[in-house]
Amino acid sequence: MSIISVKDVSFSYNEKKLGLKNVNIEIKKGEWIAILGHNGSGKSTLAKTLVGLLEPQSGEILIDQVLLNDESAYELRKKIGIVFQNPDNQFVGVTVRDDIAFGMENLCIPREEMLEKIDFYAQKVGMKEYLDKQPSNLSGGQKQRVAIAGILAMHSDILIFDEATSMLDPYTRSDLIEYIKTLNKEGLTIIMITHDVNEALLADRMLILNQGEVYAFEATNDLLKKPEVFRECHLELPVALEVASKVESQKIKEKLWEYVLTK
Amino acid sequence: MGIRFNEVTHEYASYSKITYKAIQNISLNISEHEEFIALVGHTGSGKSTLAKHMNALIFPTSGTVEIFGNIITKKRNKKIKYNSIRKNVGLVFQFPEYQLFEDTVEKDVMFGPMNFKVPKEKAKELALDSLKLVGLDETYLNRNPFNLSGGEKKRVSIAGILALDPEILVLDEPTSGLDPEGKTTLMKLFTDIHKKTNKTIIIITHDMDLVYQYFNRVIVLKDGELSFEGTPEKLFKSNILKNNHLDLPNTVKTLKHIKETLNLDVDIYQKTAEDVINELNRVTKNE
Repeated sequence: MSIISVKDVSFSYNEKKLGLKNVNIEIKKGEWIAILGHNGSGKSTLAKTLVGLLEPQSGEILIDQVLLNDESAYELRKKIGIVFQNPDNQFVGVTVRDDIAFGMENLCIPREEMLEKIDFYAQKVGMKEYLDKQPSNLSGGQKQRVAIAGILAMHSDILIFDEATSMLDPYTRSDLIEYIKTLNKEGLTIIMITHDVNEALLADRMLILNQGEVYAFEATNDLLKKPEVFRECHLELPVALEVASKVESQKIKEKLWEYVLTK
Repeated sequence: MGIRFNEVTHEYASYSKITYKAIQNISLNISEHEEFIALVGHTGSGKSTLAKHMNALIFPTSGTVEIFGNIITKKRNKKIKYNSIRKNVGLVFQFPEYQLFEDTVEKDVMFGPMNFKVPKEKAKELALDSLKLVGLDETYLNRNPFNLSGGEKKRVSIAGILALDPEILVLDEPTSGLDPEGKTTLMKLFTDIHKKTNKTIIIITHDMDLVYQYFNRVIVLKDGELSFEGTPEKLFKSNILKNNHLDLPNTVKTLKHIKETLNLDVDIYQKTAEDVINELNRVTKNE
């Protein structure tokens, strides 16, 4: 059963700027999907249509079997949360506590229940000691964690990361990735928009967008065996695979493949 | 000449009256020519604050910054022409959308030169030249900067600084959010400018692959303090990476894995995929 169905969705910003063209995708509950594509390929447009921030001109989107439209958008937004590239753009609260509360306040959750949930989810993302701190004094990775706590508190089952790691230092980044792995193991559906192919390797399937269209949507390990797809869409391959394609020793070739596929 | 930091500390006051030292006691020399510097460090380590001192956008809380002979201290000095400092050192911010404000791309890029009394026609020429340098053609001239994609905005903001032809260029994460091709194009552009004009370029980045491939000097900040200074080679061979929230470049990581699993006598410090291939072929040639 698909948790997300995108059926023949098209969206254009204006006559000149195409966003998405006849996009069809099915995503199963608990899957980890990486969305790759060059700048302007439609990645963020797709993410915005999935959360109802943009309304497609044609086609339909079903979240957990429910058609996404004006009436259902409010309810469905609980199920699907998005973390953006710049953590500073998503803070509304004066303290970390207020910020985690914001989404729940909109859902009119009773105060007692809300306080409990704030504690629970702050603990879960490892930010409980920071509840009374100002978000502006947190590091980038900590801010992203607070954003995730706010989404989890609404009991979302789908998390979209729109280049959410691109502004983080290498360590904070791998720390966040490890945390996303845990969430995925717990059953959350993860959709990760990224320019970093090494990050995309972690996904079950890769969706490659090119000029607003789905160019490929396949199991990560299968797609990696088609380097031409990456080249055609102006994407990079992991260093190990680029080396594997040209190195002479068969033994090294095999090791390099193993290194990439076991990530 | 160039930029000289002398025991510079910068404190930000927050409304809870607790001050927060963004950078602490930094002493550093940056030459006017020939340097291609990567400024790295964990999120919140003070990189952007350090960069803002380089063209006197902010003043030190203590210590001095000497920029092309002008000594910047805590107090504003009427004898210093701060405007001319900004022509000597061009700073491109992390978020280009904060920097763009005109209604066409052309006007936006012309703004800097016009501000420095360059005649309008000449400014127009400079704008087009700079836009072409960053890979945007004349069709962009009359477009509204706010309708551009993130990557395009970034390029327009860089063109705006290039049009001023500063002696030193400082760029805060110019490649973040760009696709691999856009990233390579920009890095090649900076390398090109650096090689042709000998200008010093300082770039803030989290990308270790870029640090190793392009730069000849790395400055690492940690909790506002200078934690390392030297060549990328020296940084990646050191044992301070983890402690500074850094990592090895992908080429080195991959080779390290091969070296360990196949027990090969290979030099893991290679900058590009091409170098990795050559090194591996060299080692296995006699097998």
